[in-house]
Amino acid sequence: MSLTPSQLTALRSLLDRIIPADDFPGALAAGTDTYVLRHLLGDGSLGTNVLLLGFSQLDAESVARHGPHQTFATLLPTQQDALLADLAAARPMTPWPPPLAAAPWFHRLVELAHEGFYADPANGGNRDAASWGMLGYAPRTTPERAAP
Amino acid sequence: MTSDHDVIIVGAGLAGGILAGVLAEGGRRVLLLERGRSLAYSEIPGDHLRNHRLTLYGDHTTPDPAGHPRVFIDGAGVPHTVLPHDARYQLNAFTVGGGARVWGMQAWRFHPDDFRMATRYGVADGSSLADWPIGYADLAPFYERAEHEIGVAGDHAGTTHAPRARDFPLPPVPRSPSAEWLARGADHLGWRTFTPPLAVNTRPYLGRGACIQCAQCIGFACPTDAKNGSHNTLLPRALASGRCTLVTRAHASRVLTDGSGQAIGVEYFAPTTTDSATLERRTARARTIIVSSGAIESARLLLLSASPLQPHGLGNHSDHLGRHVQGHAYPIAYGLLPPDVESSLLGPGVSVATTQFNHGNPGIIGGAMLANDFVKLPLIFWRQSLPPDTPRWGLANKRAMRDLFRRGIDVRGPVQEIPSPDSRVTLDPAVRDTFGLPVARLSGTTHPETVRTAEFMRARAEEWLRASGAERVWSWPAEKKFSAGQHQAGTCRMSADPRDGVTDPFGRVHGHDHLFVCDGSLHVTNGGFNPALTIMALAFRTAEHLLASP
Ligand SMILES: Cc1cc2nc3c(=O)[nH]c(=O)nc-3n(C[C@H](O)[C@H](O)[C@H](O)COP(=O)(O)OP(=O)(O)OC[C@H]3O[C@@H](n4cnc5c(N)ncnc54)[C@H](O)[C@@H]3O)c2cc1C
Ligand code: SF4
Repeated sequence: MSLTPSQLTALRSLLDRIIPADDFPGALAAGTDTYVLRHLLGDGSLGTNVLLLGFSQLDAESVARHGPHQTFATLLPTQQDALLADLAAARPMTPWPPPLAAAPWFHRLVELAHEGFYADPANGGNRDAASWGMLGYAPRTTPERAAP
Repeated sequence: MTSDHDVIIVGAGLAGGILAGVLAEGGRRVLLLERGRSLAYSEIPGDHLRNHRLTLYGDHTTPDPAGHPRVFIDGAGVPHTVLPHDARYQLNAFTVGGGARVWGMQAWRFHPDDFRMATRYGVADGSSLADWPIGYADLAPFYERAEHEIGVAGDHAGTTHAPRARDFPLPPVPRSPSAEWLARGADHLGWRTFTPPLAVNTRPYLGRGACIQCAQCIGFACPTDAKNGSHNTLLPRALASGRCTLVTRAHASRVLTDGSGQAIGVEYFAPTTTDSATLERRTARARTIIVSSGAIESARLLLLSASPLQPHGLGNHSDHLGRHVQGHAYPIAYGLLPPDVESSLLGPGVSVATTQFNHGNPGIIGGAMLANDFVKLPLIFWRQSLPPDTPRWGLANKRAMRDLFRRGIDVRGPVQEIPSPDSRVTLDPAVRDTFGLPVARLSGTTHPETVRTAEFMRARAEEWLRASGAERVWSWPAEKKFSAGQHQAGTCRMSADPRDGVTDPFGRVHGHDHLFVCDGSLHVTNGGFNPALTIMALAFRTAEHLLASP
């Protein structure tokens, strides 16, 4: 199972809107795409295979709104956000192949992105504890004494 | 008949470790069977996606999760086969130490009236509310022993809901600025607060170091081994005595009985050699058998042990086995601290509590202790604690995380549940575990009175935040649902009369001379407090009773 190059591009653009960069790193700078990819490809269950189709559907939604060749990644951030708001509100403009549906798909991606971004760095989506630095959260787990 | 052991204990959890320690030091030869492994700190990593506070994708303690499903019956009567990381499974930790390996350490004595709920409130329609056959005074010396031998930090003068003869061995946990803010808010309301008791080394104690306030805590193992349970106190004492054999990855499948129906041993599956993946069926015999596997698995094991003389399970002579399942309804009120009060990002986090509403609430049965929450993980905060109108994605969400992570606060409490006989553990007729044994089937729901009490406590929690000056306050209504989880209890209730329960007041299964149950299963009611110190006190009491018996 793998993503096509255009699915991968759509995935990255999507994550960049779900957790954008501002004064602090966003999803892409924190490597959250790596976490989400690992989850989608590593798991391999029916549920995640179906999720992959959503990235092609994202481009189809974009084309339906903005015309030929206007894939999701080519849109302006405001256009991207408007499209995602439509999906979140279950207002797709294209038919989604069952069992895939626009709103649940988008909400699942929102969950996955934040899981990666706010979890511990060892899970792969929070490089250099970027999100924890933003929040001022810093667990001190260095043992003073080896515990059993 | 001879055997290598005097006592077999099934489960090296919180209670099992205590039983082993007291009995082995008292001269008994103990075989301690534990289905999980003994895990080093490094084997329970700080994984924010797989821990006992957020089991999104599992956890690091459950052995062979796929091989041990349970069946959950939903409100419409539909069965669902569920795995341990699913909330419907009602998981506690399956490892040496049990839940206490990763617990939150709140170590509460029950209120004296928690032992006489039926007398105090009457029995609501459809409930199986009953008094315990023992009272607070019977347990008080053992509560004290647990506080000292396990190690509990607390405020002796402030902890007044139950009479105390002796100070805690450790000073209370430090108060965070937000806890001080809550304490001032309670003062405005005329509510009394204090620093709650936690089983944590606030300074070095019993040969182990102090808490370093590591900011993970509940759901995780402790980096300095300052998190106290039986795995780092009574269990090492048992092993040091030379009289306790601990077998891990040993899964009990049946209590064996003889022709007269008396328990004589345990059948279990264990690895052929220590590291082997292959499990073999074994039997062990002893004079005394103690089932200490947590309220769901203890009931299941007794049901699995049915014999021609006891075709409905051992101890099921009066149809109480597996019924009256309780946990705690847990209402939570969320709020935002004013900008000048910082929430603490240090563990353990719980440092202010009130027992103002455990009893005596007009028109309400029972009540709950209320306290602030444990230190929060960023992801848990994102999932649960943002104000409900916060956008779930985009810059607005990221800014809200940044602005509010240090301003979020919540108050919550374990509501005493009103037991229902229909909330129960039975054996599933279809689904089997990896050994071919029927799995636990969980069915039923909370009694309506529990929902009423939970709603009352939710209003008190909101009131506390408002009086403290929270900028916003919100919460979610309580609902009826099957409740057991980490605080699971009630499935083998003790009773003076065999008609009213499964065991006698010492945990001896009625009609059986040498078969005992010892864990939350015995709780007739589960108190308006986290249950573990009561489970520990019962374990000390049962063990001493056994040592005193010929
Ligand atoms: C994250 C978390 C936080 C908690 N925080 C608190 C708190 O702050 N305060 C509080 O009071 N309580 C808390 N608890 C609950 C507390 O841990 C439990 O109440 C306590 O561990 C129950 O003790 P027990 O001996 O009855 O059962 P357990 O500790 O669950 O032990 C039962 C043992 O039996 C083993 N077992 C089960 N079946 C078999 C079998 N067939 N054969 C062999 N072995 C078997 C299990 O693997 C387990 O180790 C928390 C629990 C968790 C998970
Ligand atoms: S907060 Fe303290 S007791 Fe809790 S895990 Fe960290 S060091 Fe251990």
